[in-house]
Amino acid sequence: MFDRLKNNNSRSSFRVTGFLLMLSLLCLQKASAQEKNNGDISTEVVAHDKDAIFSGLPYFTFSVNNPTGKDQTGTISYIVTTEKGEKVADKVQTVKISQNSNENYDFHLPELKTGFYKINFMINVSDYDDTTRRAFGIRPQEIRATTAKPADFDQFWQNTKAELAKVTPNFKITPVSKKNTDNREVYQFQMQSLDNYTVRGYLTIPRTKNKNRKFSVLLGLPGYQVSVDPMLGLDNDLAIITLDVRGQGNSRDGIDTRRDEYISYRVEDKDKYVMRGVIMDCVRCIDFIYSRPNLVHDNILVTGGSMGGYLALAVAGVDKRVNLCSAQNPILCDIRDLAGATDWPYSAFKKYVATQPGLTMDKVMSNLDYYDAKNFAPNITCPTLIGIGLLDPFAPPTDEYETFNEIPAKKHIMVFKNLAHEINQKYKDYEGRWMRDTFALF
Amino acid sequence: MDDMKFTRTRLKYFIATVSLLAAMQQHVFADGFPVRPKKFVINPSISYFVATRAWDSARVNHPFPQNGKFTALTMTLFAEYGISRRWYFVATLPYTTNTFTQTGFKSVNSGLTDLETGLRYYLANINYKHYIMLQGTVITPLYTNPNLGYGLTGAELKLSLAGSGHLFGLPSYYSLEDGVRQYFGSNGPIQDRYSGTYGITLDKQFKNQVSLSLGGIYSVSNFKTFNNVNPTTNKDFAFNQVSLSYGHSFSREFSVFVGAGTFINGRNTGDGSNVSFGIVIKTF
Repeated sequence: MFDRLKNNNSRSSFRVTGFLLMLSLLCLQKASAQEKNNGDISTEVVAHDKDAIFSGLPYFTFSVNNPTGKDQTGTISYIVTTEKGEKVADKVQTVKISQNSNENYDFHLPELKTGFYKINFMINVSDYDDTTRRAFGIRPQEIRATTAKPADFDQFWQNTKAELAKVTPNFKITPVSKKNTDNREVYQFQMQSLDNYTVRGYLTIPRTKNKNRKFSVLLGLPGYQVSVDPMLGLDNDLAIITLDVRGQGNSRDGIDTRRDEYISYRVEDKDKYVMRGVIMDCVRCIDFIYSRPNLVHDNILVTGGSMGGYLALAVAGVDKRVNLCSAQNPILCDIRDLAGATDWPYSAFKKYVATQPGLTMDKVMSNLDYYDAKNFAPNITCPTLIGIGLLDPFAPPTDEYETFNEIPAKKHIMVFKNLAHEINQKYKDYEGRWMRDTFALF
Repeated sequence: MDDMKFTRTRLKYFIATVSLLAAMQQHVFADGFPVRPKKFVINPSISYFVATRAWDSARVNHPFPQNGKFTALTMTLFAEYGISRRWYFVATLPYTTNTFTQTGFKSVNSGLTDLETGLRYYLANINYKHYIMLQGTVITPLYTNPNLGYGLTGAELKLSLAGSGHLFGLPSYYSLEDGVRQYFGSNGPIQDRYSGTYGITLDKQFKNQVSLSLGGIYSVSNFKTFNNVNPTTNKDFAFNQVSLSYGHSFSREFSVFVGAGTFINGRNTGDGSNVSFGIVIKTF
């Protein structure tokens, strides 16, 4: 059931968000934002910055509520590590928490270098043991990429776009009347993209009696191996496009990998890596928007989460026709730096290398330099919004911030200190207001 | 194997996140919000004001002498047009009939009164929720009858802050405005015109709204005389008024509202109440 995108209205959006939250809770194995409960004793960690982003010394309060009728003795402690697990600070404190009491313990951490850190708070007392996992940042606006983009990066993508331009799009659009709703009409479209690959997607348009009305466009880019459905909703001002890039959903004519192999498909050759075509599929979709007379060509928002977030940044970087870019938890930011900080997707590349005689990780990393989000970022000139979770296991905040810092355009980042690979309704609401204001959809 | 499963589930990231709902500001009955470029907001309304009492220069409230009664039936056409994302044209055209009766006396004056035309500029926003606007308005008298108004050209500069949020789980909005208006010419008053509105929608479809407003005028002039027969020509006065309004949207394009208000204090001004009815037409 999770293979299908359901976003018929805002209520279903909440459901998806709730599902992501649930997954996060499972994934983090108790690294939750909620208070911990074991019997009646509970704990809570408070970062003394609303985003857990500190410009000075980090400061946390660890609260323990002991409503039992028994004194609790033992220790509370913390350990701070880098995102790659190197310990940089720790402290153990002996405590006695009286029965029916609440105790607060302030922890002023030592001075730390710019970057993001993981911090685990542990409690080990008479009747209760628990660990609360958090993360925080130190002056992340100062984080910079440690590796430069390839000298021919821009030329590589110019050549790729030139190659795409030689492919006749052959746009075909078909009404899907059975999916129409009271306020929207649904169409399926297909087009020829790079290597003459056929990609498909959906376009939904508000019903209107005004035949001359033109609509601003939301281009929703897909997550990893997500099959898209038409996106509906109550908005009467937006045309919404969802795209199945090659190898996903309805666009598997030539590429139909196993799920976990998609990210590394043909990564041994930078000219044949799957993402080269995927990014061009998105560019071709901008061509499609430009081919439609009922769409406003200078009001295009590209948005997506995870791989969709990555694609939003990449497309905004290679195609100046994008007017707004919104990327939530984008993956593949500073790919070289992911080693040790995350499992996937680095593990997928390692696994692929192991199956390809003669292929090395160095070669793969060199090829991936052409696909790194941080290398697209300096070319982004449209206003950009990024959302990150400090507990994200796939898109480490250091690499996310590094990419954000590379963007020269007007930009805004929303940090969710207690979320993992997800954003919440606050981001959605802000994104909607930002988009409406920029497109003057008052 | 577990790791693979982990990846399979975690990366089911849904596709796009924008709240696919119309913006609340499209539905509110309050000034101070941006207007969509090339689109109109047209708001014809009619109001009836009646006063049988007045506050004198010492803020003492008393009835008009000799059973005096002042009424004003005013039809107003208000229009806004979005010139661009930041610039809006605004205009107000009122037609009024003022009637003052006393025992054995009746005075009726009718006509177009002060045309207001102006430009509003969208200065800034706070978090795309709260909008700050600056408006310049020219007041042009369309009459020669001295009983319909000052007959003076004027100019106004107004700053406004309007925004939206939630109260008790329902969308709400507010608008705060303060304008300084100067009438030019003999004893032309300088006025501070202010108002604050707080509104709440009664349903999540933005169909029904109620709002409470508090506003007033503080007018200063060398001409201190109080005109018992026609309070609209007084130049040195002050009052505060509270009003309650209910609006219903039949569609995003068409709404109606009814309202009632009453003066709560004043100086050199009539003490009255009014009811109003209007429609709002928005083009999209």
